[in-house]
Amino acid sequence: MRDDLILQVKDLSVNFYTNQRCNMALRGVSFDLRKGRTLCIVGESGCGKSVTANAIMQLLPDLSRIESGNITFKGQDGDIQIEKLPKNGKQMRKLRGEVMAMIFQDPMTALNPVFTVGFQMNEMIQAHTDLRKKAATEKSIGLLTDMGVPLPEQRVHEYPHQFSGGMRQRAMIAMAMACAPEILIADEPTTALDVTIQAQIFELMLELKETEHMAILLITHDMGVVAEMADDVAVMYMGNMVESGTVQQILNSPSHPYTIALLQSIPVLGHGKNQNLEPIRGMTPDPYHRPPGCQFAPRCDFATDICASRLPDESVFDTNHMVRCFHYEEIKRNKEIQHGKK
Amino acid sequence: MINFIIRKILALIPMLVVISFLIFLGVELMPGDAVDFMISPEALSTVSPAELEALRDELGLNDPFIVRYFIWLANILRGDFGYSLQSGVPVSQLMANTLPATLELTVAALLISTLLGSLLGVVSALRKGSIADNVLTVAGMIGVAIPQFLFGLVMIVVFVFNLEWLPVGGRMTPGRELFFQRLEYLVLPAVVLGLALTAGVMRYSRASMLDSLNKDYIKTARSKGLKEWRINLIHGLRVAMTPVAVLIGFRLPMLIGGAVVIEQVFQWQGVGQLFVMAVRSQNTPIIMMIAFFSVLMVLVSSILVDIVTAILDPRVKLS
Repeated sequence: MRDDLILQVKDLSVNFYTNQRCNMALRGVSFDLRKGRTLCIVGESGCGKSVTANAIMQLLPDLSRIESGNITFKGQDGDIQIEKLPKNGKQMRKLRGEVMAMIFQDPMTALNPVFTVGFQMNEMIQAHTDLRKKAATEKSIGLLTDMGVPLPEQRVHEYPHQFSGGMRQRAMIAMAMACAPEILIADEPTTALDVTIQAQIFELMLELKETEHMAILLITHDMGVVAEMADDVAVMYMGNMVESGTVQQILNSPSHPYTIALLQSIPVLGHGKNQNLEPIRGMTPDPYHRPPGCQFAPRCDFATDICASRLPDESVFDTNHMVRCFHYEEIKRNKEIQHGKK
Repeated sequence: MINFIIRKILALIPMLVVISFLIFLGVELMPGDAVDFMISPEALSTVSPAELEALRDELGLNDPFIVRYFIWLANILRGDFGYSLQSGVPVSQLMANTLPATLELTVAALLISTLLGSLLGVVSALRKGSIADNVLTVAGMIGVAIPQFLFGLVMIVVFVFNLEWLPVGGRMTPGRELFFQRLEYLVLPAVVLGLALTAGVMRYSRASMLDSLNKDYIKTARSKGLKEWRINLIHGLRVAMTPVAVLIGFRLPMLIGGAVVIEQVFQWQGVGQLFVMAVRSQNTPIIMMIAFFSVLMVLVSSILVDIVTAILDPRVKLS
């Protein structure tokens, strides 16, 4: 399993600077991406999911910066420290598209409205290969066919606005897959689509993961998507990873109060209208006025004095189940007792 | 596309009829008439009111308003735009004499402002916040604010009187009438008018370019590993071009309307000067002709803008 490691993120910190204020968007995030596995990063708006994805691609906005930490790509020709590369330098450009590709939330705005889909795909292909325009177009047609776009010979010459939402996202994925990347980063790829199309897009991504043996980093705020797609899960809150592990570990034995609260707040189909939904109390704190210590403490049922004193360290149990909480053992014990009673 | 153009041109006809009526009405509402200006105050004392009336009858000024309108309209349809009330020269000939001069000036100015304006605007947007951007921003504001005649006079003082590089005004030296021989006369008015128009284009293309560079597709382009120049100049600029093209399209009527102020400052014998002179002496056939052509140009430009927008932006359909 170690050999499958393709991307390692260690203690990544990213700050955003606005009007002399500083928002510490990421405060030490670590995770591994492995070939043929999907890592889902889940969390609420503003917790740093997209920032993580953009940091890996070095696509952060101008007023933000990777403060510390490492992003290591484990390629065949040795390790590459991504955070050390110049932002738009030759090496970084080679990595983008060739090694890792990204698909975005809203395929309408992510595709340039004045160029044909084929032109935009060819651009990707020609930037990374020596193919001429004609050969590139043929390849684009092949890719569109693979992604299940009907009438690809005709579609390749059409503009994004002539595509439906789902087809646009398929075209987007086709473009991302153009140079057979080893890592696919998907930043909420189905948020702008309806559920039927969402299911189709996910099916396509699962298929690609199997056939291309690709590593997928999927950003989402939807626990349903996590259950469907993930092999590994990382839960983020206020710029920290509060819990991570395999999908079974997280969904079956959540150990961080935030994860537990998240799972309890989801309605379950078939449980009827009388099911008990527990919203998480309080509000997400203002990133400029963060609580001291554990970020979740003010909203947490298990919080004690120690929680406000400092940020808890990452504790690991069950080989790779990580949780960042002072009280996780106690919480686990409580759960076991409850299960015992049932 | 061809269908669209034909339909638009057909739609022009009723609009032109309505506008011709409005122009005729507007001129009718001006106080006084041509006879008042044809006869000098000294001569007026020797002319009897009956003779004045006879003159009015002869010029057709006493016919009912509607009759005169239709006579005028019928003449226009036959290509007869009437005669100057002062010199008796056909209006179409006066127009033919002045239009080339105006076109020469305005085409040059439009070219300067379009090329320079969009270039500086794009540079300004790409180097946002840099010294160059700030200098251009201030220069742009001054350019928008400064009156053309003042700018023109300052340029005359500098380049004509101090540096003695260029002639002060006029369009050509007699006997040296080839285009490149006339060029030295064209430089100053064209540059002054061009720079005055540049400021607006520059501000507009900067805003448009910045808007485009902040869109998601720029991030997509970057995530594909494209080179920076390609991201900016292909993806960014292509989308930013449409609104700038619209702005320039709506400036086309200026080609005919002329640059009244600049023509006056540089003694450039163009349509603008003719217009000012005609208004002063209430030379209605000339006023109506120029007004009519300006309106026609506005309508034609708006069709052109539609077509250009449809070419630049595939989301726009001509229907």
